[in-house]
Order: sequence, then C-alpha cells, then structure tokens
Amino acid sequence: MDAQQIAQVTDMMYALRNPAGLPTYPIIFVALGVLTFAMHILFVQLLLGTSLVALYAAYNNHPLWRRLGAAMIDVAKVSVSVAIVIGVAPLLFVQVVYDPQWYTSNVLSADWVISFIILLILAYWAMYYFYFQNYKREDKTAQPKSRWSLIVSMALMLVVGFIMHSLTTQMLHPELWQSWYSNQGKLDFSGSQLHAYNPWRFAFFISMAIPVTGAMLVTYRRFKSVRSDADHTYLNFAAEVGKKWILVGSIISFVLYVAWMASLPETAGNFATSFWGILGGLGVIGYALWAQIRLRGEAKFCSYMALPMALVIGLIVATSREVLRYDILNGFFNYNFFDYKIVMDWYSTGLFFLTFALVGGSVLAYFLTIAWKAGQTVGVYTPSATVNKMGTVAIWIMVLWMIQFFAVGFYIWAK
Amino acid sequence: MDLISLYPTWYEPTVGSGWVVALIATFHVLASHTSVGAALLFAYLSHKAYREDRDDLLDFIKKYGLFLMVFTYVAGSITGPGIWYSTTVASPNGIGALIHSFVWKWATEWVFFVIEVVGVYMIVYLVGRVDKRTHMKISVIFGVASLATMVIIVGILSFMMMPGKEVWFEEGGYLNGFYGTNTFIQTGMRMAFMFTMTAVVGGIVVASIKDPAFKKEMTRKLGWLGIIATLTGAAMFQWYLTSVPDQALLVMENRLPEYFQTSIIAVLAGTLAYFIITMLRPQTLVQGFAGFMAVTILVAGLWPEETARESMRKPWVAGQYVYSNQVIGRDVPGMGIESQLPIIEKVGILQAHPFTPDHLRELNNGNQIQAGEFIAMTYCSNCHSPSETGIRPLHRYFPEGVTQERVADYVKGVLTTGNIAYMPKMPMRDDEAEALAAYLVLNNKGGQPAVTAAIDLEIEQRERALVEKNAQDKIAAIEMEGK
Ligand code: HEC
Ligand code: HEM
Repeated sequence: MDAQQIAQVTDMMYALRNPAGLPTYPIIFVALGVLTFAMHILFVQLLLGTSLVALYAAYNNHPLWRRLGAAMIDVAKVSVSVAIVIGVAPLLFVQVVYDPQWYTSNVLSADWVISFIILLILAYWAMYYFYFQNYKREDKTAQPKSRWSLIVSMALMLVVGFIMHSLTTQMLHPELWQSWYSNQGKLDFSGSQLHAYNPWRFAFFISMAIPVTGAMLVTYRRFKSVRSDADHTYLNFAAEVGKKWILVGSIISFVLYVAWMASLPETAGNFATSFWGILGGLGVIGYALWAQIRLRGEAKFCSYMALPMALVIGLIVATSREVLRYDILNGFFNYNFFDYKIVMDWYSTGLFFLTFALVGGSVLAYFLTIAWKAGQTVGVYTPSATVNKMGTVAIWIMVLWMIQFFAVGFYIWAK
Repeated sequence: MDLISLYPTWYEPTVGSGWVVALIATFHVLASHTSVGAALLFAYLSHKAYREDRDDLLDFIKKYGLFLMVFTYVAGSITGPGIWYSTTVASPNGIGALIHSFVWKWATEWVFFVIEVVGVYMIVYLVGRVDKRTHMKISVIFGVASLATMVIIVGILSFMMMPGKEVWFEEGGYLNGFYGTNTFIQTGMRMAFMFTMTAVVGGIVVASIKDPAFKKEMTRKLGWLGIIATLTGAAMFQWYLTSVPDQALLVMENRLPEYFQTSIIAVLAGTLAYFIITMLRPQTLVQGFAGFMAVTILVAGLWPEETARESMRKPWVAGQYVYSNQVIGRDVPGMGIESQLPIIEKVGILQAHPFTPDHLRELNNGNQIQAGEFIAMTYCSNCHSPSETGIRPLHRYFPEGVTQERVADYVKGVLTTGNIAYMPKMPMRDDEAEALAAYLVLNNKGGQPAVTAAIDLEIEQRERALVEKNAQDKIAAIEMEGK
C-alpha cells in the first residue's frame, strides 16, 4: 500500500468516529476493556473446558471421571452465565473507543452478528437440556442420557466464539473493508459473509480452555477437601487430571501462540518480536512452569492461586492483544484512540467508579462469602454475625444508591 | 475531506433490519421485565418465608426461579446484548449516539447485572442450604439490583425518544440528557407492566402447585398484583402520551396500524378478565392457560407497543438529532455536534459517504442504477424496504407506471428539502436525485430481478470498457516503443 492509500483509510476511520465524543479519557476505557476481556475469556475458557470434561466423562466408563463430569457440568452452566454477563463490559468499551472499526466489522457481517444471538441461546439451552436430563439421578457414575445435546452445545459455542473472533479480526483490516462492501465492483448489502479470521489466533484462545480448566480442577479439590464428607480419592484424582491439563494445555497453547505471532499480517510490523509479543507467549509457557513448581503434592495455599494465576496470564495475553490492535491501527494506519474527542462528564464517570467499588464490592463480597461457605458446609449453613452484618451493609448501600438515583433525578428535573 | 460518519448499510430483504431489531427487543422486554418483576416478588416471598418460617414459599421460589433461569434469564441475558448487536448492524450511529453519551450509565447498570446473575443462582441453589434469614437478604439484594437495572435503562430509552431536558441541546451534560418528565413516567409505566408480566408468567408455575390452599393463596396474590399493575399501567400510558413530543403524537395518530388501539384495549380487558377468573376459581389456572396468556400479551400487546415506540420517534432514531438513516440532522452545541446536512448539501451524498466505492463517486450513464441503489440503501432502507416485504416497502409508495421524471421531481421537491415531517431531510445533488429516481422506477417496475439485471449490465459494460482501455493503452505503448 502506498502512502496515499493509507491516508485514505486513516481519513475514513476518523470520519466514522462518533461526534458526541467520550465522557472521559479514552485510555480508561481501553484499560477497562482489557481487564474485562481477560475475565470474559477466562470464563469462556472455563465453560468450554468444563464442558469438555463432562463430554469426555460421558463417553468414558471410569466412575471417577463420571462423577467429575457431573460436577463440571454444574461449573459449565454457571460459567456460561458469567462469561455472557462479563462479556457485556468489553462489548461496551470496545465500541466507545474503536467504534469506527467495531461497527464496520459488525455491519459487514450482520447476518452472523444476528446468528450469534440465536446460536448462543440454542447452545445454552442445549447445555441445560443435558443438565436436566441428568442432574436428578442419584447414581452419578451411570452413563449420562442425551449425550448428543452436550455435543450440540459445545459445537454451537465454538461457532459463537468463532463469530466473535472473526468480528475482532475484521476490525484489524480497514484496508479491506471497502472491498468487502463492494465485492469486485458490485455492492453487497447482505452482511452474509465472515470476511477475515486467523485460525491460529482462534485456536490459541480456545486452547487456553485446557490449562484454565486444569486450574479449576486443582481448585476444586482444595475447595471440597475441607468438607467433612470429602472423598479424597476422588478429589485427588480430579487434581491429578487438573495438573496434567495445565502442563499439556499450556504447551499446546504456547505452540498456537507462536503460530499466531508467525501469521500476523504485514500491517502488524514487527509486533511478534516486540516486548508484548514475546511476553504473551512467555506468560503462557510460564504458567506451566509455575504449576510444575507450586502445585506439587497437596499445595494447600497455591491450589487456591491456580485460577487467579490463570487470570494474571490472561491479563498479560489480553494486554498483548490490545497492543497488537494499537500497533496495527495506530502504527500502520495512523488511527490513534488517544486523540478521541472528550466531552468531560465527571458525574457519570464518578458514579460508575463509586458504584463499582461500593455497591459491587460490598455485595459481591457478601455473596461470594455465602456461596463459598455454603459450598463447604454439609447441611444448612448459618452465617456468623459478621457475615450477617456484611449483608445488612450491602443492602443499605444498595438502598442509598437508589435514593441517590431518584434524588439527583428529581433535582435535575425540577431545576 | 468532506466525509461524514456513515457506515455501510445492512439490508435484510425479508423482514428488514428494523424488524429484526424489534423482534429481538420485544423478546427481550418480555424476558427482562418478567425477571425484574420476579426478583421483587422473590424478595417479598423470601421475606415472608423468614418472618413466618414457611418452607413452602421457599420451595415456590426455587421452582419458579429454576424455570425463570432457564427461560427468561438465559434468553434475557443474551437478548440484552443482543439488542446492542442488532442495533449495531441496523443503526450504528443510533446506538453509537447512546453509547457515547451513556457509556458510564451502562457500565453502572452492568455492575447490577453481575449482581443479578450471581444472585439468581444463589437464590435458587441455596434454598435449604442457608438459613432463611440469609436467603431473605440475598433476595432483597437481588430485588433491588434488578430494579436498578430497570431504572437505569429507562433513562436511556427515554433519551432515544428525546433528551430528558431541552437544555441538553444547548448545554449538553449527561444529567440533562438522562432525566426528564418522560423518564419518570416511563419508569412508572414499565414497572407496572413488569408486575403484570410477573403475575402472568408466575401463573405458569403456580399452576403446578399441588396443595389447593397454597395454590389459592398464590393465585390470589398474583391476581391482585396483576390487576393493580395492569390498571396502573394503563393509566400511566395515558399520562405518558402527554409527555412525548407533538410530532410523535402526530405520527402515532396518522401512521399506526388500525389494529393498534383495538389490540391494546383487547389485551387490557383480556388480562384483567384472566386475573379475575383465576382468582375466583384457582383450579382454572393450568399451565396451558397461563402460557397462552403470556404469549398473547407478547404478540398482541408487546409487539404493537414496541413497533409504536419505533414509529413515534420518526424521523429520528436517537435524541432528536440522529436521523433513522444515520445522518446527523441537527446541531447540538452542548456536545459540540454539528449537523451533517450542510456537508451533504455541499458535496452530495456520494462524495460525503466514506464507503462509496470509487466507481460511484462520479455519476455517468454507466453507473446510474448502482448509484441509485446505493443512495436508496443509505438514505431510505432503514425506514423503507426496497423489497416486496418488510417495513413500508418502497414500491407501495409510488403508483404503478410512474415516470422517472415525476419521481425525480418528487425527490428534488420534497425529499431533499425535508418537507415531510416524518421523513428526514435528505440532500442530494441533481444527478444523484436522477439516479435515485431511475433506481426507484426500475424497482417499482421490475423489482429486485430487474435491478440486479441492470446492475450486472452496468458492471459488464464497465469491465468491457476497462479491458478495451487496457488493450488500447497497450497498443499505444507498443506504438510508442516502435517510434
Ligand atoms: C425516518 C424514516 C424514513 C426515511 C429515512 C425515509 N422515509 Fe419515506 N416515509 C417515512 C414514513 C414514516 C412515511 C409514511 C408512511 C406511511 O404513511 O405509511 C414515509 C412515506 C414516504 C412516501 C409517501 C409520501 C407521502 O406523501 O405520504 C414516499 C414516496 C417515501 N416515503 C419515499 C422515501 C424515499 C425515496 C426515501 C429515501 C430517499 C425515504 N422515503 C426515506 C419514513 C421515512
Ligand atoms: C452475549 C455474550 C457475549 C458477549 C457480549 C461477548 C463479548 C465479547 C467481546 C466484546 C469480545 C472482545 C472484542 C474486542 O475486544 O475486540 C469477545 C471476545 C471473544 N469472545 Fe465473547 N462474548 C460473548 C459470548 C461468548 C461466547 C459464548 C464465546 C464462546 C464460547 C465467546 C468467545 C469469545 C472469543 C473466542 C473471543 C476472542 C476473539 C479474538 O480476540 O480473537 N464469547 N467477546
């Protein structure tokens, strides 16, 4: 591409920016986008990996596998919900700073964007179907019924993930948008194609399901082992599978990461050998090393660190992924999100961070404490006075939030 | 460069992109309002279960909660972002305007979403595994969080119709855009509707209760809830109509389908009758009946309501400054936003659109139909489908056998000047208006097949010309070399 063609692409992207601007500094949105994407993809990986455990168990007669499969489908079910709800956040932030790229990519594949919604609902329902077919059974080692529904669910989830992947990849090719819109000189308004993808990149993000689920299994043993009715043979089995998955999975992911870096488009310049390009790969392989060293034997403390460590690795990779986007769009096409117009709005910016910290912090601390303790208790769990107080505080903070919402509203309205 | 923020257009020939959005939105409203209503009902029941030490109420919550989780939460939590996705492809600047003004509001709502999602699992799975008091607390938090998501989104929805306060245009500021009379009335209206939905959908679960006394008690509770909510909602709707712009009322009076009024009244009466019957005779409440009611409300009540909301905003799609066809048609000094109409008037729509293919930037005999189609897709297709079906199909608005000259006059005289209240002002250069007219007439006569054939012909000729030109250049080059 010559300089003039690049300048045309730059102009086009700047023209597409929303003239309303942003209510605060763009870097804040990008940072939140990276953080929430790392969490999103962690739960996506968990849902895929735990489904895989359930699927493997369904086709394997080993009684311990069977039990593990039954337990993991529970995790999968919740992980889908969490992946979806957390996915909303990066969806919000990406279209704030990268609206020219995100919207164009979506419109040009609109049929797929709509299919995404329908397929995801079907995928989730298929998973629930499998669950309801089996969850009431006393004998967790019997062969599960309707195994096909789990296969359907996983296949659809992979399609859904691929659509996401393609949409993010298309964002990185502004030089091709025009040719996708008017294919060989003939306009195409149908949005019926996915135009760009990178199989290595997709395989990499999906493959991380293996080490992440390994981390889940290690955590599972640690969590359940304190229950008075714990079956240690079973739990140790789970942890051993987990450690193997971390090791083998990290190596597979590392190889795929290298393949992704080797297949970057020319517009990425020398990202693959840059600091972030290398760090992402080191992070992935580093996870296997960490696990080899820290998860030996019972690993009472570090077993609880397995998932947080996976999130840290995820954050490194998410940062690399974001820097790659910046390098292509800014480095090659001179589109710099830092210079997005700002129409500063302190109130709404402040309200978000306060809500996030106070409401989110107090409620989730309470919720997770309850869930955690209840999961470790045989029979009915009755919280201590402190935990009860946490609940009361959370309720009050929420009520105050509501009062604030209407008080400010009426004040503005009456002004 | 005189480019404006226009994206490619997505065109869905069967129902039209607008209806795809409306379908997903309707479904989402059903699911989400039911969920929020149920959350408040759970808070109440769990509180009662704690006070009166009753296990049956908690069992009810578990049963209803599981049912809701599979249907409304799964579908609701996916169709929620689904609305973003669908509006993104149908109306990128509409959603972009909302996102850029309200990103933090949505982010705030998201905090409550996360609480909701964790909460629903806890409410269902912790029945019998934590003490009643803890369950009550979780339910109360869950209820308030759900309500919070609702009040936040209503402010954004109201902005779609119009900014909260008129001063927003001059001063900007998120608060001025968010809060207004319309916002508060709509909040009340939606809350009422949400309880109606809860009462109806709750019936599906109550129907399966075995113990007659408990069934009667629950039927009564839901019945009263439903009756009060429905009547309040109807009153709120009347009040709501007084708060929308006159323009919207005008569009509504003239342009809504005939069946709208009748259908709304019928649904209202039917819903009330349903509650009264089931209250008087709880044994009539069976799952089929309750399910049937839910679907009826969906089809006969919600769908017209959602489509009405869509039509009433015309010609705007967001904040009374972004047109449905994505062009910004009004200055908003408070946000530093300028109308894009002057640029289009200056250079024409083909030059102003960043995605106009190179071979359509300048009009000539060889690209008229392609350019006409491009303009129709850009300017009209959001409100008028160029196909046989879908939203307000274009061909219905032009008489059969209309001439290109008459259509061109109409376009130049009426559309480019913005003389019709419910349509945007759509500036075009004369040659652009001619191209649009040529396309419209062809589309009127032969429909899509004729258009496709004409475009294929244009492309073929262009390519032939290109080949000839290349050949001549080559000959010229050879001759040059020879000399
Ligand atoms: C904001 C949405 C919108 C856009 C964009 C739009 N229209 Fe319309 N148009 C309407 C509505 C609403 C009506 C009235 C529909 C009805 O009466 O059923 C209408 C009516 C018409 C009519 C009948 C006029 C009359 O006098 O009643 C014609 C012709 C027409 N449109 C052509 C066009 C063309 C051509 C374009 C694109 C250049 C266009 N419209 C763009 C919304 C729109
Ligand atoms: C409604 C639900 C979901 C939402 C809102 C959502 C949102 C997102 C967002 C915003 C991104 C990042 C885009 C970017 O930063 O450029 C993303 C990435 C991704 N999502 Fe989701 N997601 C959802 C569900 C899923 C599901 C169910 C899967 C798979 C099972 C999935 C798999 C992925 C993958 C693989 C990526 C990475 C793509 C890449 O960078 O190559 N998502 N998602």
